[in-house]
Formats: sequence, structure tokens, C-alpha cells
Amino acid sequence: MGTQLKDVIIKPDAPSTLLLDKHADYIAAYGSKKDDYEYTLSEYLRMSGIYWGLTVMDLMDQLPRMNQQEITDFIKACQHECGGISASIGHDPHLLYTLSAVQILCLYESLDAIDVDKVVEYVKGLQQEDGSFAGDKWGEIDTRFSFCAVATLALLGKMDMINVDKAVEFVLSCMNFDGGFGCRPGSESHAGQIYCCTGFLSLTGQLHQLNADLLGWWLCERQLPSGGLNGRPEKLPDVCYSWWVLASLKIIGRIHWIDKAKLRMFILACQDEETGGFADRPGDMVDPFHTLFGVAGLSLLGDERVKAVNPVLCMPEDVLQRIGLQPDLLS
Amino acid sequence: MAESDEEVDVLVQRVVKDITNALKRNPNIDEIGVIPCPEARYNRSPIVLAENKLGIESWCVKFLLPYVHNKLLLYRQRKHWVDRQALVDITCTLLLLNPDFTTAWNIRKELLQNGVLNPEKDLYLGKLALTKFPKSPETWIHRRWVLQQILHTFSDANHKKNEQGEREQANAVRSQQLSDHLARTLHQEMNVCSDAASRYPSNYNAWSHRVWVLQHMAKGNIKVFHDELSSMRLWVSMHVSDHSGFHYRQFLLNELITELCRASASTTWLAQQQSSTVSNSSLHQHSCTERNGELSGADTASEEERQFSLPTVLQLFLQEMELCSDLIQSFPGHETLWSHRRHIFFLWHQWRTEHQHNCHSKGENVPVDVSDGNPGMLVQSSVGQGESVNCKTHASEPMEVDTGLLPDPHDSKRLKRGVLPSCPPSLPSEHSFVSIILESCCNYEQRRFALAYKKWLGTVIGLQG
Repeated sequence: MGTQLKDVIIKPDAPSTLLLDKHADYIAAYGSKKDDYEYTLSEYLRMSGIYWGLTVMDLMDQLPRMNQQEITDFIKACQHECGGISASIGHDPHLLYTLSAVQILCLYESLDAIDVDKVVEYVKGLQQEDGSFAGDKWGEIDTRFSFCAVATLALLGKMDMINVDKAVEFVLSCMNFDGGFGCRPGSESHAGQIYCCTGFLSLTGQLHQLNADLLGWWLCERQLPSGGLNGRPEKLPDVCYSWWVLASLKIIGRIHWIDKAKLRMFILACQDEETGGFADRPGDMVDPFHTLFGVAGLSLLGDERVKAVNPVLCMPEDVLQRIGLQPDLLS
Repeated sequence: MAESDEEVDVLVQRVVKDITNALKRNPNIDEIGVIPCPEARYNRSPIVLAENKLGIESWCVKFLLPYVHNKLLLYRQRKHWVDRQALVDITCTLLLLNPDFTTAWNIRKELLQNGVLNPEKDLYLGKLALTKFPKSPETWIHRRWVLQQILHTFSDANHKKNEQGEREQANAVRSQQLSDHLARTLHQEMNVCSDAASRYPSNYNAWSHRVWVLQHMAKGNIKVFHDELSSMRLWVSMHVSDHSGFHYRQFLLNELITELCRASASTTWLAQQQSSTVSNSSLHQHSCTERNGELSGADTASEEERQFSLPTVLQLFLQEMELCSDLIQSFPGHETLWSHRRHIFFLWHQWRTEHQHNCHSKGENVPVDVSDGNPGMLVQSSVGQGESVNCKTHASEPMEVDTGLLPDPHDSKRLKRGVLPSCPPSLPSEHSFVSIILESCCNYEQRRFALAYKKWLGTVIGLQG
């Protein structure tokens, strides 16, 4: 009796070298050729989309090809009275897009385009009594938002403006028996949430609170025979999960626990040789999101053709050195 | 085919109206979808209603979506006035097509706060959107916000009642209505979660919402948790790859065990639920309610109830391990099942360690022998022949009060006979389970997972002692 293994088979003719020029062209052209309908569908996350595109361009040393002035003007127009930043003009502010905007402005060394003090006030105002963070004024709680809050403040050098001890207490209350984390206390472990929580603990200097061996065990079990990583048991491998799992392993000092060469093969197979860009799995449609996490993953795996990426903030290391931020990693 | 701006304008307004009217005329619509149809036909409306299904022909979506999207954003920037009813209609159309458009949900939150919309309407819209987009994070987030509003209404009403004194009959009736309403809402949420879970495997957002709902609407309500555990049994057996569904079971077990142990340690787990959570009485009219009546005003549970919960906990673990073994053997090679086994064994190991410790520290007798080395002794001691290991009252009394709580009649019969379904888990029994699998099964994946489990037992559990 055969079990259907949830994995992909990488074809022999799948791409096996990094097509950097193609990817740079793909990102540079993205956005200009979009018709109304496609643009509309994803406008609610535009600010993060710009962060993905710019970061991958910077990792490939192609940032000057993007229109800096237009982008900083856009971000400026997205800051609201409350200090928070929205995904696009006319949308409501949210922590997710506030972090993306701050990350973009760090890439461009132009934080002065926005009112930084108001951003800090906004983030501070979203912390709850139990230490958790709401994503916006409507109050949804998620460990993702805890990460967004401390990442934003760390980039602005204002971590001391919130109650860090309480924030840590809440994130730790979401830790599960397998060493992983979910979105709220009692929720299932999920690689995306684990990335947020390990990143959070790194930025707050609390990595010692993790059970690194147990968590590392769970993370390693995400690797499938194809070499790709999934985000939870019995899910398909995906380039973005490759990033979240790999970055978490890097943060807890266990990256050598997986088969790096096989993962590299999987990521490379997710490239589209014609259009450029990476897809979630070999043969699927490419997008900027998976293109960033594909290239960033290859960087963590030691590819010397791209810049070194920081596993906590998913930004080029040279940018973080410039602003003097060096998040903790376990060794 | 609409081409000019004016034509698009007329077309879109008509379609938005058609959607609104369809929903108004037929309150039983239970699913939405886009009908593949590249060209407009016969000048007919692109909105199709058949057997409670609402379909939108695909050709119109590319006109419809950008139009309602831009209109709403112009309104948000105060560049364009839209009246309240139009806002309700536009956000409805928009969210059925693109439910992760956060700002549109936020506009509906404001309409709700202003009394233009009622919470039930929004829960219904979200339910429809989830039939096409079962993962949509923003739809689940909005649901939680709406449920919070309902809970606030409920707790405000309770608060008023307490202020005015309880003798007023009208208040009592009103309170019962609210309580029933909350129970219905809880039931409906469970159905929405089940539907979304069936539409997308390992649907993280659906299952974590379900956890949230229980945490906020049924906290500490053992009956609700028991019913959930019981109704999930068949579901997980038919979805052996659904890691999220099994995690939900783990969550239920953990909560139940925590509650039962707390009850056993001290007080009134049967007492009626307070504040803003669904009460036992509003959900169930049988045994629990009766016991609520008996216990009202009592600060501590009777000796019988104190004793009762420990074998129940043991029984829960045994049944779960048995289910897990059955599924692993019937459906070889599923990582989810082995992961579930780890979790249950971990919970059991932890509970046993803590329980032993608590009993010792209070100077009580340990009611069951839970030593690793001798599983056979446990079978004897836990139910039925308790006296040999000092758990006199466990022996038969629990079965009398058990019927309302144990979901599976088959198992309660077994309990009455004093027969346990199988040996309680222990390190040796787990190792022997792995050996049986390795000896009898040649499925590669099954063997891989069995070996990983063995390693996990040795490392994670073994090191804890």
C-alpha cells in the first residue's frame, strides 16, 4: 500500500544556477505593467510588496534601478495622523505596513521622510496590558504583531519606549510543547509564527528562553526528500517557508542540522527561466514575495553572488551595520 | 460589452444592486463562487442564483472590482461622498470578491458601531466570503472583532442586571435570551469553522479561530469541550493528514485535563459559568444543568466529584492513545498521526509527573500507580479494582455521574464494566508499539516516522526522567 507523500519531484531540466539578471529585470518591470484588476487585488498589501521588491534588488546590488523619490513620497503620503502607516494611499494604518515602510526607509537612509516620533507613539499605543500587540486600533492580537512592533522600534533605536518584559512574557506564553510558537496562546506551531517569535526574542535579547534543541528538531523535520521545507507537517514545500524555517534555524544556531545542498537545489528549481522571479514551488507562477525569500534563502545558504542577509530582519547586513543594529544569534 | 466609463458605471451599479437584492431576497444563500464565463451573454445580469448558491460570471469581475475598490478609497480619502446604504452594498460586493481588503472590513466596523449594520449580518457576510476564500485572514480577524462586540453586549447586560437586582423577572428573561443567543452564536461559529476546515486542508486560520472562540466564549465549560472532542473524533479519522485538526484535539484534551484537575484539586467546576462565557445551562438541558442546580451556592464540590475527575482524565488519555494507535495502523505513513502521538504522550507524561507530585505534596495517597515500569499494575488500579492501590471511591461511583460527560456510549459501557480500552501509555509500552510497527510494516514513510518517534521518546522524554 503506497502513501502519497506530500512533496514535489524536481525535474532533471529544472534550473540549477542562479539567474540573477533575470530576477532583477523581473522586479524592475513589476508594477509598471500591471493592469487595473491585478493591481487592485493586491493593493491592500502594497507597502509590503514594495519592501519585498526593494530588498531583493538591494541583495542583488540593483537598488539604484528603482525610483527612490517616488517611493519615499508614496510612504510619506501613507503616514496617518496617528503615526501609523498604511499599505497604500486611502487604506487604514497597520503595524504590518508600518514595519515595511520603516524597512524601506532604512534601505534608502531616508527615515526623515516620515514623522519618526509619531511612528514610535503609534507602536507604543498598540501594546496591551498583557504585553501583546494589536495590529491596529481594532485590536487583533497575534505574535506576528509583537515581532512587527519590536522590529520597527529596533530599526528606529527606540526599543526602550515599550514594556519589553511584558512583551517577552506574552510571546513566551505562545510557546508549545514542540518548542515552536503559534499566533496566540494555545495555537498550533507554525513556521511563519516561529520565525516571528525567534526574531522577536533575538531583538529583545531573550534567545536563552528558547529550547533551541527541541525547536531545532521540529524545524529540521520540515525538510522533505525534495530538499524543500514546509511550514507544518504534511504540507507541501514552499520557497517562503524555506526562508522562515532556515532563518529561524540560523537565529538559533542550528542551520547545519539540515541538508543545505538539497535545499539550495530546491530553491533554484523554483526559478522561472523565461520571466525571471521565483515561485512557491517548481513550475508555479512567480511573484515578488517568493523572489525575495528565494534569493534571501540562497544568501543564508552562503551564495556569494548575493549580499549577506540578516536572518532576523530580512534586510541586507550592510544596511544594518550602517544603522548599528546587530540582533543576537545563538551559536 | 461595457467600454466607456459611463457604461462601466451603469453596469457596476446594476451588478452591485443585483448582488444586494439577491442576498435580500434569499436569506438562505450558503455559498458564493465565480462562474467561468469570458463573455457577457444576452444582456443578462451576471449574477446567478441557483439552489442557494450565488454565482458571479467572471467577465464582470474585472470591471466590478476596480470600480468598487476605487470608489471606496475615494470615500476613505474624503474625496467622494458615499451614503451609508451605498457603503454597505459596496463593501459587501468588494469583500465577496477580495476579502483581505482590510480597510473595507474596517468601514463595516464603523457602520456597526453606528448601528447601521448588525453583528449577525456581518458574521453572515464573512461566512459567505469564507466559502470561496476559506483561509482569508482578514475575514477571520473581522469575525473575532464582531464576536467581541456581541460578548460586550452580553457582559454589559449582565452587569446591568446585577446593578438592578435580580428580582425583576423581565431581566431574567432578557438574560436567558442573551444567553441562548450566545449559545447559538457559539454553535454557528463551530459550523463556520468546520466548513472552512473541509474546504482547505490544515486551515490554520480556521482552526486557530476555533481555539479563540472556545477560549473567549466557553472558557472552563467542560461540557462544551467534551462535546467538541466527541464530535471531532470522526472528523480527524477522516482527515488523517490534517495537522491543524489534530492540534485542535490536543488543545481540547489539554483544556479538559486542566479543568478536570482543577476541579479535583478544589472547587466547583460544575458551577454555572459566570460573566461573558456561554453557560452550561444555556447549552444543555440535561445532567449538567441538574448538577448546577444542586451545586448552586456550594463553594466546593462534593467528595464524589472530587474523586470523579481523575479516572476521567485517565480515560481521556487512554481513549486518545487508542484512537491514535488505530489510525496509525490503519493509515500508515502519516506524519500528522505520529506528531499527534508525541503530543498526547507528552501531555500524559507531564500530567502524570505533576499529578504524582501534587498528591505527594498534599500528603494524599497517589490514586493510581503511574510508574513507567509496570503498565499492568495501572490497568488494575485505575478503575474497578481500585482498593488495592488506595483509590477506594474511584472504583464504581464515577460511572454513575459519568454518563452526561463521556461522549462515547460505547466507551462508557466499557467503563461500567470496569474494563479499560488498553494499557495506559508508558515508555516501555510506547517502545513496544514502535517495535510492532517496525516488525510488521514495510511502508517506508511509516518506518521513518516510527524511528523518529523512537528517537524522540529516548531524547525528549528520556532526558526528562
